[in-house]
Amino acid sequence: MSRDSQKWYDKPVSKLILITIALTWIFPIFGFVLSSFRPGESIKRTTWWDALFTGEIWSELTLQNYSEIFFADGLDRSFYNSFAVTIPSTIIPITIAAFAAYAFAFMDFKGKNILFLFVVASMIIPLQMSLVPLLQLFKSGAEVFGIRIIPALDLNGTFVATWFAHTGFGLPLATFLLRDFMMGLPKSVIESAKIDGASNFTTFFKLVLPLSVAGIAAFATFQFLWVYNDFLVANVFLGIYRPENLVVTSHVSQLAVGQFGEAWHLRTSGAIISMIVPLIVFFSLQRFFVRGLVGGAVKG
Amino acid sequence: MRYYKLVVMKEKTQRQKLLNFGISTLSLGIFPLIWFLSQAILFRELTELISRNWLVVVGIIIGSTFIFLLFYGMNFFISLADRDSRESLEAKMFVGPSIFMIGLFLFYPALRTIYLSFQDRYGTSYNGFDNYMWAFSDPEMLVTIRNQIIWLVFVVTFVLIIGLVVGWLSDRLNKGEAFFKSVVFLPMAISAVGASAIFKFIYEYRPPPLTQIGIINGIRVSVDREGYVCANNKIIEGVNRVVGDENCLPPIGWLQQRDMSNLPFVQNLDLDNWFNSIIVNIPINTILLMVIMIWMFTGFAAVVFSAGIKAIPNEIMEAGQIDGASELRVFTSIIIPYIKSTIVVVGTYMVVTVLKAFDIIYVGTRGDLETNLLAVKMLDEFSKYRNIGRSATVAVLIFVCVFPIIWFTIKRERETIS
Repeated sequence: MSRDSQKWYDKPVSKLILITIALTWIFPIFGFVLSSFRPGESIKRTTWWDALFTGEIWSELTLQNYSEIFFADGLDRSFYNSFAVTIPSTIIPITIAAFAAYAFAFMDFKGKNILFLFVVASMIIPLQMSLVPLLQLFKSGAEVFGIRIIPALDLNGTFVATWFAHTGFGLPLATFLLRDFMMGLPKSVIESAKIDGASNFTTFFKLVLPLSVAGIAAFATFQFLWVYNDFLVANVFLGIYRPENLVVTSHVSQLAVGQFGEAWHLRTSGAIISMIVPLIVFFSLQRFFVRGLVGGAVKG
Repeated sequence: MRYYKLVVMKEKTQRQKLLNFGISTLSLGIFPLIWFLSQAILFRELTELISRNWLVVVGIIIGSTFIFLLFYGMNFFISLADRDSRESLEAKMFVGPSIFMIGLFLFYPALRTIYLSFQDRYGTSYNGFDNYMWAFSDPEMLVTIRNQIIWLVFVVTFVLIIGLVVGWLSDRLNKGEAFFKSVVFLPMAISAVGASAIFKFIYEYRPPPLTQIGIINGIRVSVDREGYVCANNKIIEGVNRVVGDENCLPPIGWLQQRDMSNLPFVQNLDLDNWFNSIIVNIPINTILLMVIMIWMFTGFAAVVFSAGIKAIPNEIMEAGQIDGASELRVFTSIIIPYIKSTIVVVGTYMVVTVLKAFDIIYVGTRGDLETNLLAVKMLDEFSKYRNIGRSATVAVLIFVCVFPIIWFTIKRERETIS
């Protein structure tokens, strides 16, 4: 929407500023994308802008880098690993949070306020606070007053460790957001369903869940991108030293810190492959994504 | 007769209570624990047993569906209870797993971190405030804290300012608003690791005879000096102009520069002057790493601000314009006050994000050369120096910085709701 009463000199100036900013923002990606299509030797021999000015770039464009990084360097494995980490890490917290949000929004029970305060308070905890003890918990279990509650599980390096870690870190926010969303649903509909004799389980699955799709999608998009783009949790719980445990982000980080020498043709193409999924999600679900981001402003 | 009935009912409630207590511990305490353990053990064994490709497929399927077993199992136990108490048990069943998981995976570890911060490097014996003394006296830690402050001040300020400008200006366009916002917002979808890789390509340094493929050094070595033609390993006027020619500027390893002392113009400065001594000490690598984060998050700020600006009623904007206020005046006295709370929200978000910045440093410099931040330092202490106590202390420091901010946000949010 544009305002009508604009002064004539304003628009070119604001356009100029915007175009400058947009070009500045695009520029880093541009050279990077271009280089990903050039053979490794050419990247090192001539700079991409020189190649562009002389026109030499058009004859050397190739998809070789992509097939090399994906099939020979094992990025395909990291790619599948990323999905094995991300999909359950999105579904588990959302399911648990949706149940809890339903109870907080529509049911009466003892200690409701205190429990909700507990959920909200745990949003304050930054991920770094729980990282190391959680790692120890997964490795050697936990004891309370000498009684072993959780045995030594030795989970680190398995996907299940990352699922639980992401569940813990994502749950408070998910519960909080979904409760907010469900509070906005028409209460009379849910009450009339209960009067008709529907159990809480039925009301939840048949009525509240379909009505909350927008809220769930917003958080799901947020959590999916967050987990997919996460490097810290993957680094800690899966490790970066065993190639079969790499996810896309840790794989690209290994490329970028120079584990494989000066392989810019692999660094560029690898990083770009890692960006494809988030970009697809971002462009197709932009509406939900922005909403999830704004809601996620307080994720601990 | 009536009295007798009452006694029977009372007895019944007593027995009921016992039964309900049994059912609720079973369904709310023991079952979730068993569920957690069985999923963990099942998957750990699968990791050993089946091939990698199958593991991914099975992992996605099991990981996504196992959670429903938890609720159906609990529901089964609760359906054994009598009708009257089922409602309250069901409520607990709906909430229980959320509380259980937050408690086990977030709350308990966080408390343990506080406890560990008073322990020695193995986390086995109490050593008082030693770790905290270390945190505020160790030179490496002091540099880390300094960097964290620089990051907080500059990243948050720049993200807010550029975000406001883009949000404000794009709102006034007739065409192309969505395009400009998308372009600036794009980096938000990219992982910080990817963004760091992109910028490392720009900052790239290679030892002199090699072509400078990073654009900053590429331009730097191609600058002609006093009539002498320089170039980046190119043949110009029949001469091969190589990188490292002593008449030309040398390339610089930008991410290795902890201060400005390697730049030629600084070497002629009078260092006794206080202003110059500040200039010399500007940490170039830290600034270049901050650029990555600004690049990533400005779009987020712009999109949120633009939504805030759109929410301003047209009458208010028009009233300002009719009164003859200039565009800039409208911006400073109408738009900014109107979206003040949005600015606070975005600012808060950025402060928390900067305090937890990890990937950029890790990929950019690995925290070396005085670029470290708290989140990286925390992991370094744990995995590199094997000091659990100190690692926990750094984590507590992050928490202490984040705590008031989020507390304030939640309090404000509750006020707006009520």
